Amino acid sequence: MTWVLQTAIGGLSTGAVYALVAMGFSIVYRTMGLVNFAHADVVMIGAYVTVTFFLTARLPFGVSLLAAILITAALGVVIERILRPLESRDLNLMLIGTIGFGIVLESVAILVWGSFGTAVPTPIPNLPLRVDGLVVTTYQLLILAVSGVVTVLLFWFLDRTKLGTAMQAVAMDRVAATAMGVDVAASNALAFAIGSGMAAVAGALVGPLLYVSPGMGASIGIKGFAAAILGGFGSIPGAIVGGLIFGLVEAFASGPLSAYSDLITFVVFALAMTIRQTGVFGERTVDRA
Amino acid sequence: MRVVRIGLGKPLLVVTLAALPVFLDLYKAHVAVLILLFIIVAIGLSLVMGFGGQVNLAQAAFFGTGAYVSAILTSTYGWDPWLAAPVAILSTCLMALVVGLPALRVQSHYLGIVSLGLAVALASVLTNATFTGGASGISKIPPLPVPGVDMTDDYNYYYLVLAALVLLVALARLIAGTTLGRRLRAMRDDTLAAAASGIEIPSYRLLAFLLGGLFAGVAGVLYAHFVRYVSPDTFGLDTMFLLLAMVIIGGQDSIWGVAVGATLLIAARNLLTGLDAYQQLVYGALIVATVVFAPRGLAGAALAARRRLPFPWPTLPLPFPRRSRPPVVAPPVLATSRSVASSALALRVDEVSKRFRGLTALSRVSLEVPTGEIHGIIGPNGSGKTTLFNVISGIERPDGGRVEFHGRDVTGKRAYQMSRLGVARTFQNLRLFHRLTVAENVMVALDRDPARMHLRYLVAPWSVLRREHEYRERALRLLAEFRLESLAEEAAVNLPYGRQRQVEIARALAGGPSLLLLDEPAAGLNAAEQEDLKAVIRRVRDAGVTVIVIEHNMGLVMSVCERLTVLAHGKVIASGTPLEVSQDPRVVEAYLGRGTVRREAV
Amino acid sequence: MLRLERLGAVVALGLLAVACGGQLAGTTGGGSHAPIRVDMIGTFSGQNADLGTWAWDGAKLAVDQANASGGVDGRKIELERFDDQGQPTVGTDLAKRAISDHAVMVYGSDLSTVTLAMIPILTAAKIPEITSGQAPAILEQGSSYIFLDSTTSAVFDQTLADYLVKKRHLTSIAMVTNNDAYGKGEHDSFLAELTKLGVKPTIDKVVTPDQTDFTSVLTEVRATDPKVLFIGAEEVETGLIAKQARSLGITATFAGGAPMGTPTYLQTAGLAVAEGTIMTSPYLSNDANAKTRAFAAAYRKAYGQDPEFHGAKAYDGMNVFIQAMRKTPNDLSGPKLIAAVRSISYDGLLGHFKFDERGLGLHATQIGVIRDGKIVPV
Repeated sequence: MTWVLQTAIGGLSTGAVYALVAMGFSIVYRTMGLVNFAHADVVMIGAYVTVTFFLTARLPFGVSLLAAILITAALGVVIERILRPLESRDLNLMLIGTIGFGIVLESVAILVWGSFGTAVPTPIPNLPLRVDGLVVTTYQLLILAVSGVVTVLLFWFLDRTKLGTAMQAVAMDRVAATAMGVDVAASNALAFAIGSGMAAVAGALVGPLLYVSPGMGASIGIKGFAAAILGGFGSIPGAIVGGLIFGLVEAFASGPLSAYSDLITFVVFALAMTIRQTGVFGERTVDRA
Repeated sequence: MRVVRIGLGKPLLVVTLAALPVFLDLYKAHVAVLILLFIIVAIGLSLVMGFGGQVNLAQAAFFGTGAYVSAILTSTYGWDPWLAAPVAILSTCLMALVVGLPALRVQSHYLGIVSLGLAVALASVLTNATFTGGASGISKIPPLPVPGVDMTDDYNYYYLVLAALVLLVALARLIAGTTLGRRLRAMRDDTLAAAASGIEIPSYRLLAFLLGGLFAGVAGVLYAHFVRYVSPDTFGLDTMFLLLAMVIIGGQDSIWGVAVGATLLIAARNLLTGLDAYQQLVYGALIVATVVFAPRGLAGAALAARRRLPFPWPTLPLPFPRRSRPPVVAPPVLATSRSVASSALALRVDEVSKRFRGLTALSRVSLEVPTGEIHGIIGPNGSGKTTLFNVISGIERPDGGRVEFHGRDVTGKRAYQMSRLGVARTFQNLRLFHRLTVAENVMVALDRDPARMHLRYLVAPWSVLRREHEYRERALRLLAEFRLESLAEEAAVNLPYGRQRQVEIARALAGGPSLLLLDEPAAGLNAAEQEDLKAVIRRVRDAGVTVIVIEHNMGLVMSVCERLTVLAHGKVIASGTPLEVSQDPRVVEAYLGRGTVRREAV
Repeated sequence: MLRLERLGAVVALGLLAVACGGQLAGTTGGGSHAPIRVDMIGTFSGQNADLGTWAWDGAKLAVDQANASGGVDGRKIELERFDDQGQPTVGTDLAKRAISDHAVMVYGSDLSTVTLAMIPILTAAKIPEITSGQAPAILEQGSSYIFLDSTTSAVFDQTLADYLVKKRHLTSIAMVTNNDAYGKGEHDSFLAELTKLGVKPTIDKVVTPDQTDFTSVLTEVRATDPKVLFIGAEEVETGLIAKQARSLGITATFAGGAPMGTPTYLQTAGLAVAEGTIMTSPYLSNDANAKTRAFAAAYRKAYGQDPEFHGAKAYDGMNVFIQAMRKTPNDLSGPKLIAAVRSISYDGLLGHFKFDERGLGLHATQIGVIRDGKIVPV
């Protein structure tokens, strides 16, 4: 039982990170219809920017994180401009175009920060808290806390602010939103900025846990996307649920058969998608051809 | 004797490739073999993605499967490499089918993530399992034994791979230019229209993956016995994205483009060393630029260039013996199919209902259409007309009720099954296969061979060509009926709107249906075209086909239809002859509101 | 399809021209004053990039010093480097390249996995190869053309096991190793040594080289409450394992081989976590003796930072070959060169080198403990 709970704790904290990635991904998809495979590399850039402020400039972690969010969000606006022509293309092209862009981001990271990577100390002393035979580290709690705050902020923004509501409108019906006076281009740029900012948070949080390197986007990215799809593509609550489920499945799969955790995780994912094509919260559009 | 002019392109290429190794040092020869191998894998990917439209991010994993199975069997278990090879290729094909199974339920980006995830899963097995050698991989793979030839010599191996490549390219081009390729492309361009034209979509999705696996498997075996060392890193995400880049830069459904793309990318990667990060930057930027500015890749650019600067390429006149072909005896163009025994009542719809998440599109709709009748379905927008067509043609499954076609219960049958039974349709929003030519659009529907006939590609490829010739003849004759034969080689999407509509009707008729459903065929047609349309409808009926037309154009409806059914809010509110219906107050009210003056029948 | 075969023919012709051009410019042939070509194939990118860079720095220093003092019979040594990206198959490509480049010898790779992939190719071409890898498997390939610039995991782990069990009486030892050639070598050697001493590890877990999250494995380790955690992985991974172990509440002392003696380990794990780590290496400190101090000074002058174990062993390894080349300057062919290597006796920074038929030249290591970020000999 200890093992189950201990593994669940680990799974929830990595799941929270996946959820952040998945939410960022879903926001962009839902407002712009763009499947952005470079999102994972934005996570990586966010991690690197945070590390630069935190380690090199020796600013407090909170400040570094905020700076990273702002910079990455600004980068997101630039990316949106570059990737705009892809929004209306067919899926294969969008896929490959965004992947190509991801490669560009990765090589830029290598050129700026080197290919070697950095280990990052945790921003708070990572003390194990023993509760009833279980160990929860203070950093895991921090991850859950920060992710929670970001999620709440996102919901507040989408539901309670004018800009957020406008973004929801664009997602539902772009033409009608334009007719209502919403500046769709600005809304899209904002969506991208928010998505990128969330990616930065995910990257910054996961860095001290794992290792910050130009290639770190790959594994987090695939799992984040899969989580977004599992939860129902474009659905924000779905992204959260998907992320947590993914984190848990992965944690439990890596227990007894640690070698095959990826195999199990992704086979389960493939089965889940085959059974319920649009994920937990997605709309059904079953192909009857 | 007849003289055929052969372009110098192919012979020159073959000679160059055959002579190449003489001029290369060991390392460059090694790279040349790698290029040839990657071309094979990339062509496989092009068949799945470019032709079949299936997102397959596991192609590198398939490549790895072929290599690893061959490596394990020969290195660990001591099998003869020539025995291990077919086993490895079959294993890869099986793996491809397994990975392709989700494609039956999900498509596009969902399929992308699922296939990527499965590729990661496979990589995980390779990296972790002991029987795969873990992260260190498998070494000491024996060379392919060829009596009298040292197959550890890269120069000799080049010729082996070149031979394999020539055969596989020939196969790929045969597939691309004939029925299998055409069906895949139709499925890619418009899945619904493809199904409505008789293509069994689930089988073809799997077939697309199978082709990808076949090519990757062969390349994998050849790779394992070339490098004689396999490790997981070669078959991971980096290689997958490299393959994607090759396909995109080459031009997704161009075999030659993919080959050129592969050559350029591998040569650049291996021969320009140093500055790795810059190289990667350029490579990524190149991919983005290609997608944004030249989405058709090199193939598209070459096509555009060819139009602008026609280069007088030298050709060689060669004498060929005259071939005698038996004249094509085609059945009369508009003959009905014999697949369903004819009966007096072509279609009976009985209390059919259809709901979409709370919205009731059809509510207990019933109608009967006798064989040989021209029946019209009219009603205000949103009344469920197209949904009714979708239920009849198998695109939607009804939530209640029954559909009978020539006495046979076909409720819930899928679109391609309905097509096989003899139901054809056109679509309200015009669904042509936009990247196929006019002739190809028609040939897709005309070609009724079941999927198992594709085995001929491997056992009797010449029969494929012969059949192809027949299809073309028949297609041209059908197009001639619509005076479209001069436009046969045009991309369908380039035609004027009215002509495109005609192509769609021709395509629907090509399969010899006994029931034709036309969904707003007159939309966007001018007066002369509308007259043409009426004539076509009558001619089709005279050939024995039952026709049902959805239309808003009252002139057409009144003059051509024998009986009408009127739908409003998903219910049948009236049915009868055009005159009866036009005088029915419920119909008038539905269209024009209460208290309006009655229209005269035209 | 389209007449793209025309484009294909043009491209093929173009490549042919490039290839021919390359061929004409390429062959330098022999010639008594032509430079001696040495190819270094190492890991210069990715997570293990330090290994390649250190090896390059050390070998280059040796080559520069040799060239400054007359080279080999007047001929300069030309050292070129190639990035194997940590991938065995890239290594095999580069091995072929070395053959095409008519390299006299290959220094590579720093990863045992890549080295193993290259051995059959280079041996068949009779090109001597010296490697920084230390997996025992390297010596079991049946090749007389492979040499180690330090010693194998077997020797490292024998020293370590003896110290832990016999000297310190620590018998509650957990093992976490990765499954590439180096990690596997460490696993097998250490386990064999423990068995010889009658000790059974409390738990024996295997991870993969690119894993970054070790929570579940370490949770299992924690459950066995070991006093020592033996880690067999490359520098960064070792550091990550150590760091995550501490954050999960594992208080065991860390123990391992060469990777734990590097600045990379200290940086990745963090000073607090690395404190008290027991490691074994033939080269513990730059201040050990006059020779190492001279080397460190020269290294600092050339590169602006202090050397460590990997730089030192590359320096030694290159010097062994330079000395061998000077012994047979008129015939640097493979068979002659390897005979020369085996005939010399070399006193290096790591100790005394005398190579046997399998390619092992160094037979002992020392024990050190990390205190305050520095390695203190024990």
